[in-house]
Amino acid sequence: MDFGQFISYIASGTVYTVGVTLIALPSGLLIGTILALFYVYGGKVAARVMNLYSTIFRGIPPLVLLFILFFAVSKGINLSAFLAGSLSLGMVSSAYQMEIVRGALLSVSGDQLMAARAIGLSRLQAIRYVVLPQAVRLAIPPWSNEAAIIIKDSSLVYALGVPEILRRAQLIGASSQKYLLAYLSAAIIYFLLVSLTTRLLNRLENKLSIPSHP
Amino acid sequence: MKKYLLLAVALLLVGAILVGCASEPTSVLDKIQKAKKVSVGTSADYPPYEYVDDAGNKTGFDIELMEEIAKRMGLELEWVDMPFDSLVAAVASGKLDMSISCFNYDEERDKTVDFSEAYYTTEDAFVVTSAFSGTIVAPEDVAGFKVGVQSGTVQDDWLTTNLVTPGLLPEANLSRYERVDQAALDLANGRIDVLMGDYVPIQALVAQNPDLQVVYHGELSTGPINIVLPDGDTALKAEVDRIIKELQAEGFIDQLAVKYFSE
Repeated sequence: MDFGQFISYIASGTVYTVGVTLIALPSGLLIGTILALFYVYGGKVAARVMNLYSTIFRGIPPLVLLFILFFAVSKGINLSAFLAGSLSLGMVSSAYQMEIVRGALLSVSGDQLMAARAIGLSRLQAIRYVVLPQAVRLAIPPWSNEAAIIIKDSSLVYALGVPEILRRAQLIGASSQKYLLAYLSAAIIYFLLVSLTTRLLNRLENKLSIPSHP
Repeated sequence: MKKYLLLAVALLLVGAILVGCASEPTSVLDKIQKAKKVSVGTSADYPPYEYVDDAGNKTGFDIELMEEIAKRMGLELEWVDMPFDSLVAAVASGKLDMSISCFNYDEERDKTVDFSEAYYTTEDAFVVTSAFSGTIVAPEDVAGFKVGVQSGTVQDDWLTTNLVTPGLLPEANLSRYERVDQAALDLANGRIDVLMGDYVPIQALVAQNPDLQVVYHGELSTGPINIVLPDGDTALKAEVDRIIKELQAEGFIDQLAVKYFSE
């Protein structure tokens, strides 16, 4: 087997890596943003519940959650390995993304909300048109960090046999006995994926940045 | 306090879900016969039993055997690749119908899954040339000679653990080769006195080379290997066992062993 075949065999696992990321990251963002809004603006009880949610899901290793979902819970609801992996990563990520969005929401000073209310906007309108647009911009840098983490954590689904990059590197390493080459190839592919994503998000950050705003 | 209360409630809920899902009365045999499909787990990183070839397809002793078993059951075979340590859990939780991945019987594993009849028993053998003048009665007797073995195999492990580490066989007298045929070449050239290997490939080697002879064979580093089946599923076990016996009687398994273990 030549080097080109070697790399292309491992790289064909990228489909699964990207697939897992594309499910986990947006679902985590959606849930995380909604929960963060409740956390910040939903009153004391909501804040407590959200805090508990965040504590629980940040406290469980994704791999453990993955095994619970795949081997225990999905005995009744038949989840595929791919879906169980994507969802458990999404659940863990939603807790982290909630904290990211919450931090961004809190960084927009409360005076702005008051000012918006003073000129006649409703509370919801003020959040929607004044706070959120600024918070989104503030959230991008830490969020691109989370994106990189999810791309790399997606390798966890190998434990369920999803033929993604890491699992393919293991297989080809075993049959060719060229382990170093196999894992190096996997490392390079992950590195390219992560650096590409970070770059795209940096560009987005620049594009969305408010002129003359620090 | 409230926090812990909530946590306790959450855990109870999860527990309730798990208990609710635990009942599963029908045999997997009925299920797979109805679906005409069986999903079998393997960890395709263990050549020559199961591995991927240059084209990325699964191949190996276990793979070809399982394909024949599925064919005789009239079922379409769906391979599911999974790391070795997840395979037993996947069968126990019903995610897979069975697993074949060079499994030795193990009491701990037997608590959550069942084992088929052994489809193959691996044995070790010692082989020498006609010029050899010593005697080997017990396996430990090889400690007095220069021994060759394929590196990283269970035989290598056995020699190292039982002879080298206790100081019976000097490390310098143990030669580890990348492949068995390289060791056989050195045996013929007199650089080593005894070669230890899996009995099946050794027999193939002796058949090709009349100057070589087996002086000992038995289960030292190895043992019977079985297919992992769902726990307590007697109907499925009976069917799989029946086919394994059939294949053994026909010599199919021996042919596979020669094909995969003598290269």
